[in-house]
Amino acid sequence: MTEGALDSKTNARTPRSGGLLRIPFNIALVVPAQLTVMVVVVVPTLIVLWLAITDWQPTQAVPWYHAEPIWFWNFYDLWYDSRFVNAVLRTLFVVAACIAIELVLALGLALLFIEDWAWKKLAVSVVILPMMIIPVDAANAFFMLFNERGPINHLISLAIGQPYEFSWLSHPTWAMLPIMLAEIWQWTPLMFLLVLTGLTSLPQNQIRAAVVLGASPVRIFFRIMLPLLAPVIAIAVLIRSIETFKIFDPVYILTRGQPGGATETISMFMYNSAFVYFRFGYTAAAALIVLVVVISICIALSKPLKRHG
Amino acid sequence: MSQNGRRFGPTRRDFLLRSAMGATAFAMAPGLLARPGMAQSSDLANVHKTAAEAAKKLAEGRSVKLTIMQPSGSLGNVKPVADRFMAETGVTIEYLEVPLGEITQKILLEAVSKSGSFDLALPATFGIPDLAESGILVNLDQYALKYEPKDFQDDALYTIGDYYKGSLYGYQTDGDTYVMFYNQDWLNNDVEGKGFADKHGWALKVPDTWEELDAMMAWFHRPDKGMYGGALFRTQYFIAWEWWGRFHAKGFYPLDDDLNPQINNDAGVQALEELIQASQHLYPGAKTNGLFENFEAFGQGDKFANIGWGGTQKFLNSDKSKLKGKMAFGPMPGGMVGDKLLRTPYFNWGWNYVVSSVSSEPEIAYLYSLYACSPAMSTIAVRDPGGYFDPYRGAHYEDGEIEATYSRPFLEVHKESMRNSIPDLYLKGQGEYFDELRVNLAAADAGSKTAKQALDDTARSWERITRRMGKRSQAVQWNFLKSSYPANIRSRLK
Repeated sequence: MTEGALDSKTNARTPRSGGLLRIPFNIALVVPAQLTVMVVVVVPTLIVLWLAITDWQPTQAVPWYHAEPIWFWNFYDLWYDSRFVNAVLRTLFVVAACIAIELVLALGLALLFIEDWAWKKLAVSVVILPMMIIPVDAANAFFMLFNERGPINHLISLAIGQPYEFSWLSHPTWAMLPIMLAEIWQWTPLMFLLVLTGLTSLPQNQIRAAVVLGASPVRIFFRIMLPLLAPVIAIAVLIRSIETFKIFDPVYILTRGQPGGATETISMFMYNSAFVYFRFGYTAAAALIVLVVVISICIALSKPLKRHG
Repeated sequence: MSQNGRRFGPTRRDFLLRSAMGATAFAMAPGLLARPGMAQSSDLANVHKTAAEAAKKLAEGRSVKLTIMQPSGSLGNVKPVADRFMAETGVTIEYLEVPLGEITQKILLEAVSKSGSFDLALPATFGIPDLAESGILVNLDQYALKYEPKDFQDDALYTIGDYYKGSLYGYQTDGDTYVMFYNQDWLNNDVEGKGFADKHGWALKVPDTWEELDAMMAWFHRPDKGMYGGALFRTQYFIAWEWWGRFHAKGFYPLDDDLNPQINNDAGVQALEELIQASQHLYPGAKTNGLFENFEAFGQGDKFANIGWGGTQKFLNSDKSKLKGKMAFGPMPGGMVGDKLLRTPYFNWGWNYVVSSVSSEPEIAYLYSLYACSPAMSTIAVRDPGGYFDPYRGAHYEDGEIEATYSRPFLEVHKESMRNSIPDLYLKGQGEYFDELRVNLAAADAGSKTAKQALDDTARSWERITRRMGKRSQAVQWNFLKSSYPANIRSRLK
């Protein structure tokens, strides 16, 4: 009997003989992909879920699968761990501030690049150059810039006419500024590229009609271009928010979360927790909380997309 | 609060348990009771020979290779000794260098992966409790019983960090006690001396107490004239060590017998407030400069005081420093407890030879560590002027090359400090306890928190850490550790 042939008596498809051959062909095709997903996503997720309810550390000298469950104590401790709570809030602030500034800068830059002008292609290459740089190198450059005896203080000294040696990186209020500037400098180009792509693909009919009717450029921008651009902006903000939430390189290079945890973001907190103190269980619980926060942000940011769709 | 059904309030059962633990700790204290090795008759002066002979015998007819995981920068200390061991035993030695601050983590990863990538390692002394609990370290008691000469440990000036819960886990190979450095020209300046005496009613001198040091740093701090009171560390990583010294000098242990933090008591808050006040009299780079920048900054000769280790002196006593031959030295300042001066020199770093439990040759690896830490071989290791290892055995202080590197006045102060050093917090989770302390002290120093808030927050975190680590298990080690404090200090701490 051939594969999938009809039984002459029952008029039903006969099962294939043995093993994988019993699985319908269309399902068999996706099985490898499904198994890969299982291994790559589901298994680690299950391990994280397990670790989150244990306090497993390598220092316990037991395999992780033999760790003693402590149920929700990690979550309880995280709730009262001011460093974790502050790290989450600080990261949310960094995301909000950086993304807002990047968006404004990217929009402004993109508007300059709508029309054709001489050297435009070269200028685009120059503008997107920062994001080609390895993040650690970019962060290192900002470390040098904001060093006590670095160029920033030197410029301020020249401006005010007297020596200026402010410790940017060790001041609890100002230490976050160089980190955020490094992030904004490096990743505004990505936002710029996304927004520019959106702007150049906007339907021109409405804009031409508005021009003919005598609408001012500002009015055209806010009433026509921006609403049409909203889905692109939402996607750009979504991508950058997720990326910025994971901000690590500039924090690690510039301050390592210092002084006194004033620049400790969630990635830095989890790095210390997992790879310095090997608190894998605690870090797994923190990761789950962060996952919920990030998913909530994604849902909130994707609402405009749904409306548009 | 309870977890996993455990109660932490004092109960009759707990009282009995603590009493038993106290007795156990007393029995485990090194030097208080016969250690296994005391039965051995091997001669201390020849221990390197007997260790090499034993290793050679064990390796006979086989091709044996040992791999040493070491912090980068220590090869100059390790290699001369390893070369001799190879020549004497036929055992091959290879090196695995890892970044200075990551070696404990790398060894802990080995506890998970069990790859057998190294046989011996040189972790920082304060990392040994976590490593011992992870199972990656060999308990060396059985080998010490077999090979260690009876006065091997007595000859070393600081051995507290070698033991965890009463068992031997490593051999100290670096004398990292805190020592103070002073600009001698400024200290001996008659004009400065008179002005200072007129203001304070006592003469400039090597300070005995933190209060005296703070007053002197304030006196010399004239940034407008390019003079700074001090170069003491104020970066997050280093700040806790100075506070630890200031706090102990007020007469308290960091934890009480029930593992409750005492760091946030009035003495702790006062120590932190004094540290914050002293920050005003440091050079501007104190909050950002790390270890080597600190050496260079003080070596410029425009600062009065600094704190550091033997490594600091190696730099300051070199041609790179303007202060070469122009320094006075002192032990870490103390405090007046009652009417008497309490000095609490502090051993806060150091490297130990340990043996990996995954090693296929643990006995030969142990013999190598015994060989490397023998008086003769460790003297060769400490001689390297560019390495990390500082003197820690009596023989080191008599060696001409070592004296040329460190100078006689420094060695005298260093030796005395080594003899009386208090230990770091050698508990499981030491890194976590200290990280919480560092973050909060740095926050207080930066003005984000008050001294009281910072120490209260630290105390709360410490309670959580203790609960997680297991209060009873921690209590065993804490009572052992307390019993290891130098007797003259132990009797005065509360």
